[in-house]
Amino acid sequence: MPENMYTETVMKMLLKTLGVVNAVLELRNIRKQFDKKMVLDGINLVIQKGEIVSMLGTSGSGKTTLLNIILGLTPMDSGTILFEGIDISKVPMKERGFNIVFQDYALFPNLSAYKNIIYGLRNKPDLVSKQEVDGLIDFLELGPHLSKRIDQLSGGQKQRVALARTLATKPKILLLDEPLSALDGVIKETIKDRIKAIAQEYKLTTIIVTHDPEEALTMSDKVLIIDKGIVSQYGTPQQVVHQPSNNFVEEFILRQLKIKRDNIYNLFKECHV
Amino acid sequence: MCKKKPEANIIFIAITLFFVAFLFAPLLTLLANSVKTGQGLGFTNYIAVICDKDILIAIRNSVQVSIAAAMITTVVAFILAYAVNCTKIWWPLKTIIRVGIYVPMLLPTITYGFAIIYSFGKQGLLTKFFDRELFQIYGFNGLLIGYVIYTLPSAFLLLNNSFGYIDKKFIIVSTLMGDGVFRNFTNTILRPLIGTLGGTFVLAFILSFTDFGIPASVGGTYSVIATQLYQVMLGSIPNFNSGSVIAILMLIPAIFGILLLNYLEKFNFHYDTFTLTELPNNRVRDISFACLSISTVVAVTSIFVVMFIAPFAKNFPYDMSFTTQFFQDALFSRMIVDVYENSIFVAVISALLGTLISYSAAIINVRTTLSRRWKIGVDIFSMITNTVPGMVLGLAYLLLFNGSDLKGTFSIIIICNVVHFFTTPYLMAKNSLSKLNAAWETTGELMGDTWTQTIIRVIIPNSIHTIVEMFGYYFINAMVTISGIIFLVTARTSVVTSKIKELQHFANFNEIFVLSIVIFVTNISIKICCDLANKRLSSTR
Repeated sequence: MPENMYTETVMKMLLKTLGVVNAVLELRNIRKQFDKKMVLDGINLVIQKGEIVSMLGTSGSGKTTLLNIILGLTPMDSGTILFEGIDISKVPMKERGFNIVFQDYALFPNLSAYKNIIYGLRNKPDLVSKQEVDGLIDFLELGPHLSKRIDQLSGGQKQRVALARTLATKPKILLLDEPLSALDGVIKETIKDRIKAIAQEYKLTTIIVTHDPEEALTMSDKVLIIDKGIVSQYGTPQQVVHQPSNNFVEEFILRQLKIKRDNIYNLFKECHV
Repeated sequence: MCKKKPEANIIFIAITLFFVAFLFAPLLTLLANSVKTGQGLGFTNYIAVICDKDILIAIRNSVQVSIAAAMITTVVAFILAYAVNCTKIWWPLKTIIRVGIYVPMLLPTITYGFAIIYSFGKQGLLTKFFDRELFQIYGFNGLLIGYVIYTLPSAFLLLNNSFGYIDKKFIIVSTLMGDGVFRNFTNTILRPLIGTLGGTFVLAFILSFTDFGIPASVGGTYSVIATQLYQVMLGSIPNFNSGSVIAILMLIPAIFGILLLNYLEKFNFHYDTFTLTELPNNRVRDISFACLSISTVVAVTSIFVVMFIAPFAKNFPYDMSFTTQFFQDALFSRMIVDVYENSIFVAVISALLGTLISYSAAIINVRTTLSRRWKIGVDIFSMITNTVPGMVLGLAYLLLFNGSDLKGTFSIIIICNVVHFFTTPYLMAKNSLSKLNAAWETTGELMGDTWTQTIIRVIIPNSIHTIVEMFGYYFINAMVTISGIIFLVTARTSVVTSKIKELQHFANFNEIFVLSIVIFVTNISIKICCDLANKRLSSTR
């Protein structure tokens, strides 16, 4: 390791020990173009350990690109990514230690639910113990479904198998791409709670991409609102609701929530009468 | 980050080298041969060929009979596909149509001709049945029937597939809007299929124009370009330069045909979403299409019935008493067993190697992040192999590898088969692989897999059905092909189809039919095995 990098690492570890730096992930000035179109234009972001952060934006805003850049799947044009203070910008996806649950889960249909869950353990058998895997299965209530084929599982069950498969690799950061978009009704609410519980139980930093303001504001500790590749606002749900930073947040995020709230309020009011 | 997979690069390079050596180099040699003259390079060979009256007649005949066959095939295939897709015919009849029409595909085209002779000839089975000779079979009529039977399965496959993309809901909408039968039909069926119908015509034309087996058996004195090429190359005085020119002339309509096929693709419209729709009731439609299509299938299969009768009669058609003597003689003849073993060996290795190469090429195209230019390169290999007729490819191999160690080996026959039949399995694999979840490789990588591990553990198991089908396609085609291998076989590497051609000289039709039955039974067994394997694979999941 070169001397200056060594010094930097030691300094960061020292600061961390002293509690000065608690950022687990830091993005600095991330830029990305596709076909000469700027998709991400100087994104800065700091995420603390164990936080759930939602990235919220309309389609084409650049949120999924940002998620893929963090994962290491998409290369960025410029910028720096720090994990626990160490520059991982050039570290390949496989070595970053992050993991993702894709929007469509990407479960392997030739394997049973259980074999999907333990898929990664064949490559890293010492990573987790059998008890830990069993614990995960219990926690996600997958016991009765382990021998089922993927096409025999419901949407919610598939989601939980995909979560279990990802969690079994003990990711340093959990990334979720539109985790609730394929679900409906009560299942959606249950999975929401489950994601929060996972983050708490495993003290897992979790980054969620969503286009639904309600999801973002009710699930996360912090919300990053992206519009046309630029950060519109980054703050707690309360900050977003009470101190919208600009017109986009006001119009796009809060207005639809207010309409929804009023509709439901009116509905219940009429019912009551 | 996001580095290219070295394994993918290696596969791409290997495939490219394979096609450079066994597609481009032979074709360039063929081209060079066609312009090589005693005084250097020039077009004198072309001029000589074009001025040759016999060849001009052969070209004219080829064009005439191929156009006629393509027109009939397109209409008949359309009727069959319509019956299967747009009528409420009782489903077992639909199954009979779907399965029956593929029977000819399991036989070499050279057998078609002999079956036609034995059905429609002076003493033919159908002649006896109708108690008169229906028409003169040698020449135009025989070729026409042969080509229609030969091209019908492929044409039906193409149209049947396109019918699947037509949203039948529009038939209901058109009916509700008050359209008459004609307008309803043209708007909801004919218009969406116009591109495919054009494509079917072109495909049937190319197949007929370049086939060798049918004219070799039933052509008689009616010469066509394929038999001319055979005579020039393997006649009493082989003329390699003239042969090359004829091969190039044979290639030209195929090139235009493929370009036209790609152009016609634009006229097809595919509905984004289509729903399962109940068709309106119409008894007249159902009964008429059932009669038309079943009689077509019966007509096609009845021509082959003779193949199963003649070798079991003592002296067909004079003494019809039953005997298994010919069968026993053939099956116990060392020579026949040898050629059968050769055929099986060639078909199995062609199928294994062909499946491996076409599947790998499809993986490169669909499941990697290699540059677009490279991927288009693989598509171009597929397009060219589709364009080059088997006879032209075989001749090109003969010219290039004449002095090499490959001459007279099984390897050259196998490689010729792999290249000749590459397009369809490649497209099958491409289609199937592109439907698999795009995130599997990333997921595998995040789980610690290498790219190759994910291919083996996830991608192959999830496309195993297609792999089995690709194997079956290669095997059956390698068993029945004659045009591709006729210039490449030797006495040692003779296969069943080339043996049939040889037996023709001795007018040994019983043995020809025995060999055809052997091919038929082998192919049908492989087809059933493939279907069973796929069923088993589905149930063990």
